[in-house]
Amino acid sequence: MKRTPVTILTGFLGSGKTTLLNRILTAPHGLRIAVIENEFGEIGIDHELVINAEEELFEMNNGCICCTVRGDLIRILGNLMKRRDRFDHILVETTGLADPGPVVQTFFVDEELREQTYVNGVVTLVDAVHFIRHLEETHEAGEQVAFADLILLNKCDLVEEAALRKAEEAIRSINALARIVRTTRAETDPAALLDLGGFDLTRATGLDPHFLEPESHHHHHHSEISSVGFQIPGDCDGRRLNDWISQLVKEQGQDIFRMKGVFAVKNQSDRVVFQGVHMLIDAASGGPWAGRPRTNSVVFIGRHLDRTALESGLRSCLAS
Amino acid sequence: MKCLATLEAGDHVSHLVWNRSGDRWIVCPSSGPVLVADDLGAVRESLSPHGMGNGAPAWFGGQAATCGFDGRIRLGGAPIHLGRGMIERVRTNADDSLLAATQGRNLLLFDRSGAVVDSSIALPSPVADLRWNPAAPRELATSGAGGALLWRIGEAEPFARFDWGGASLEAVWSPDGRWLATADQTPSVHIFDIPANNPLHMEGFDGKVRAMAVSSDSKRLATAGSAVFTVWPLTGARGPEGARPIQVEGSASEVVAMDFSPRDGRLATGDTEGTLLVVTFEKGQFRRKRARLGTGISTLAWHPTAPRLAIGHTDGKVQLLEMA
Repeated sequence: MKRTPVTILTGFLGSGKTTLLNRILTAPHGLRIAVIENEFGEIGIDHELVINAEEELFEMNNGCICCTVRGDLIRILGNLMKRRDRFDHILVETTGLADPGPVVQTFFVDEELREQTYVNGVVTLVDAVHFIRHLEETHEAGEQVAFADLILLNKCDLVEEAALRKAEEAIRSINALARIVRTTRAETDPAALLDLGGFDLTRATGLDPHFLEPESHHHHHHSEISSVGFQIPGDCDGRRLNDWISQLVKEQGQDIFRMKGVFAVKNQSDRVVFQGVHMLIDAASGGPWAGRPRTNSVVFIGRHLDRTALESGLRSCLAS
Repeated sequence: MKCLATLEAGDHVSHLVWNRSGDRWIVCPSSGPVLVADDLGAVRESLSPHGMGNGAPAWFGGQAATCGFDGRIRLGGAPIHLGRGMIERVRTNADDSLLAATQGRNLLLFDRSGAVVDSSIALPSPVADLRWNPAAPRELATSGAGGALLWRIGEAEPFARFDWGGASLEAVWSPDGRWLATADQTPSVHIFDIPANNPLHMEGFDGKVRAMAVSSDSKRLATAGSAVFTVWPLTGARGPEGARPIQVEGSASEVVAMDFSPRDGRLATGDTEGTLLVVTFEKGQFRRKRARLGTGISTLAWHPTAPRLAIGHTDGKVQLLEMA
């Protein structure tokens, strides 16, 4: 069965989510898109394809943050997937103060949803006017940026260039992987937004953590969330690599929001790609190296990340 | 087994609900118009759909009550509630005097005229299911994150709570009001002995339990969870605790629908490949009859007094069978 892509749209109250949703719903993309909206504080979207639902958090394993999922989504999507006339795409809009983690995790944890849908990507709208203040005053603003594959830095017409650069630097210090697009009134190409492939392992091939090396790493103190990445040439021992990642997510999974890695594993001709959300890890073959040097690239986005310990952990996986 | 009628519901059939006398039944597809048929399977009414999806309907005061993703509740086709936020089910209480629904964390309560009744209940969070106690018309159970809560209309706080570290989805009562069972987000079932305040946790299912049913004499609880379903005894001082349940094979795939006949206690089950099993229980033994109905079964419901079984399919087909 062909799985239906799901895009998660997040961002603070007033960042422009409703404007963006309206654009997506009315753009001539030819797609039939269902929207699940959790934001009751803003003006609702009066559209036949919009479902309003109050966020319902389920803890599946005695309070473990990684096993917290959204019960309402499981039931709504379960119902939508039964319909004879399927949707081409599903958009889930979170509340302004939501942690996107449980929304993403829902699609990894619930077996039925996993079979029928997949997360195409997380889009975070950032209000260029208020972002720095939101970052200083709340933890949600940083988490929403940390989970993103695409960040729309919105309301750019209301801010000077210097302030925009400052906001971009703050975003980049949190999430080094996401693409940042400047927008005004959430104007962007909906087709590009619906084809992010953010969790698609077969597309996790262009990982370049060079810009995250310590000498080029900008330090900001707006958020305790940051990105750490490195590249180490050579082949890893498959078993050691597996043990290291398992141990890492077991001990630090609560603080690791996203992780992506492309690894060279001894005796394996293809690349091995990993991606994870908190303690949930997916791995797959990333196709042949095609003449490129065999090297290990990995990026972590999370809280309290210790670059030295992470790098030394990966080095300990190298095959002797 | 004889097919009395075949209906076309237009989409995956989610719910089939007979009225108390058995002269009408609601055929509710996932989306599209909700149908009301008579006891011979002729469609008598077609009720407006509820936007992107229909919720579980109920009979209330002789009329079909419907709800759905559009945030509306209609009684006999006339709107009695319009709000923002999906409504997943309406439920009628034991004496048919109250209709309940939830919208987010709001418990909505209506009398037979469709007027709002103040429940005084403040739900702490949205719920996955809501079920009236069949033996106590002013008591209801809610299930969801953290387990199940028991409420009395007019009291703000629950009078009993069954907490656990996970989430409970569908809930079902035994008709005598002693047992409440919940199917969980993880592959398990909780069975609560209400008078004894004793929660039991049954694990070991292959997958999520998508269907449960309790016999009308309150002696048996059937739970799905794989192609082999389980029937638990609810008799004795301890009920299923320590007892050996019956495991029934014969389905071709995961069982997703089950119902006990109120007339003769037979259990009908349906699987995703269209296998219908009808199980008769006699003195500690059971007999099975099997029929292959072609397309996946999504729901089924026995007639309240006659040997008739309504079966809904994933392709929108509905069959009304005479079961000898």
